[in-house]
Amino acid sequence: MRVAEAEVKQLAESAIAQDARAGARLITLIESGASDLYPALSTLYAAGGHARIVGVTGPPGAGKSTLVDQLIAYYRAANLRVAVLAVDPSSPKSGGAVLGDRFRMSQHYSDAGVFIRSMANRGALGGLARSTPDALVVLDAMGWDIVLLETVGVGQSEIDIMRHAGAVLVLQTSHSGDALQSVKAGLLEIADIFVVNRASEPDAQRTVRALREMVHVDAERRGEAAWPVSVCETEALTGEGIAALAASIERRFTYLTDNPKARAQLRHMQVRVHMEAIAAGIVAARLTDRGGAGAPGSDVVADVAARRRDLYATARALVGGDD
Amino acid sequence: MGKARIIRCVLGMLGTDVHTKGIRTLAQLLRDEGVEVVYLGEHNTVPGMASAVIQEDADIVGLSFSTAAYLHYVRAFRDELISRGAGDVPVMVGGMIHPDDRAPLAEMGIEGIFGPGSTVPEIMAFMSRAADAYRNAGAVNS
Ligand SMILES: Nc1nc2c(ncn2[C@@H]2O[C@H](COP(=O)(O)OP(=O)(O)OP(=O)(O)O)[C@@H](O)[C@H]2O)c(=O)[nH]1
Ligand SMILES: [Mg+2]
Repeated sequence: MRVAEAEVKQLAESAIAQDARAGARLITLIESGASDLYPALSTLYAAGGHARIVGVTGPPGAGKSTLVDQLIAYYRAANLRVAVLAVDPSSPKSGGAVLGDRFRMSQHYSDAGVFIRSMANRGALGGLARSTPDALVVLDAMGWDIVLLETVGVGQSEIDIMRHAGAVLVLQTSHSGDALQSVKAGLLEIADIFVVNRASEPDAQRTVRALREMVHVDAERRGEAAWPVSVCETEALTGEGIAALAASIERRFTYLTDNPKARAQLRHMQVRVHMEAIAAGIVAARLTDRGGAGAPGSDVVADVAARRRDLYATARALVGGDD
Repeated sequence: MGKARIIRCVLGMLGTDVHTKGIRTLAQLLRDEGVEVVYLGEHNTVPGMASAVIQEDADIVGLSFSTAAYLHYVRAFRDELISRGAGDVPVMVGGMIHPDDRAPLAEMGIEGIFGPGSTVPEIMAFMSRAADAYRNAGAVNS
């Protein structure tokens, strides 16, 4: 999709001035893979850097959206402006999606201090969509104090979320299995805070104990300077435990402020991942331009497939810009 | 490029309507046609639903009704969209719509009216047309 440059520039400026419609339209353009957005994204990026991004992940139905709904209420009571980016899966067959996260947050629909955007993952692995990082740049530029990022309901090793959030909440319930499964799933490497939701359910305390034990063992291994992963208990439907959870989130951001080394490590990793994603997007667009629909002979993909060209030289030329 | 643009549709019920089975079924049917449906369920307020349309940057809105108050709600909803600068977003209405009400709905700019006998291809054909017209009218895309 081609977009008029002046139009996009105007959208970026309006979004920075907190115009919801402009921000929303920019996210749509990002999702649609519009090709001429880079100058606008640069402007938006320069305007950002202030939002606290809180990731919320966990298995399907664990209560992520309901918890996000409660966190919105909590932060609104503290007079903070809150945005939500909620990712749900696309149907692999049709490419369509039923985006149902927003439905759980309906009490905030008409609050101008809240912006909720649903996003289909459009086949991306890892719990987010390919356009999520750039959509976060838009939300950050719009000046939302807190951005709550909900992933697709995921089980194991979906580490994408930690690449974009300053605090990662991993939801578990009493059905989440034993500690071994959590270790296997690598959840310790992802979670800044574990949240056992539906905490009043019969077996929830077993999950809490298992997680506490796991976190404790890991803390000894990681040493004193490391962020101490905590385990919170919530009842997202009633809001029980939300204040304590918000306090844990606050501690996490304070930790990052007080520990420049840890903060730099996280930020560098995140910038690196985002930069790689942008570069990969540019290369993919180049490849689309030069392959697929192209006439015979000019189609580099067909040429490589027919072994008329070398795979490696063609790929390197794609990055270098001359082939 | 090549790929057809994905339609984003906000789907929900306004007011005190509680019969959600219809829109839940429709949401799934539309998903199977490749639509991204932002599902809002029942009990939505007019301003809340308008906010959703704006924040989700919907290409089209679907309102479903099972009670008789739909003329009132549709008018209020259209007015809200207009007052917030989103009056150009196409709106379609579904449910038990009385034939006599088609003319007043059309006057409000509602072209898509779908009753119990409507088929998915009919609805899809309307949505594609309306969403395309909406997007192409905006200066952003070309
Ligand atoms: N009893 C109880 N029910 C809850 C709690 N939290 C969520 N639920 C219910 O669990 C169901 C799923 O909640 P969601 O918030 O949609 O879960 P989710 O993790 O966002 O689900 P996906 O986005 O589909 O992965 C809903 O019916 C909620 O009302 C809780 O703490 N206690
Ligand atoms: Mg959810």
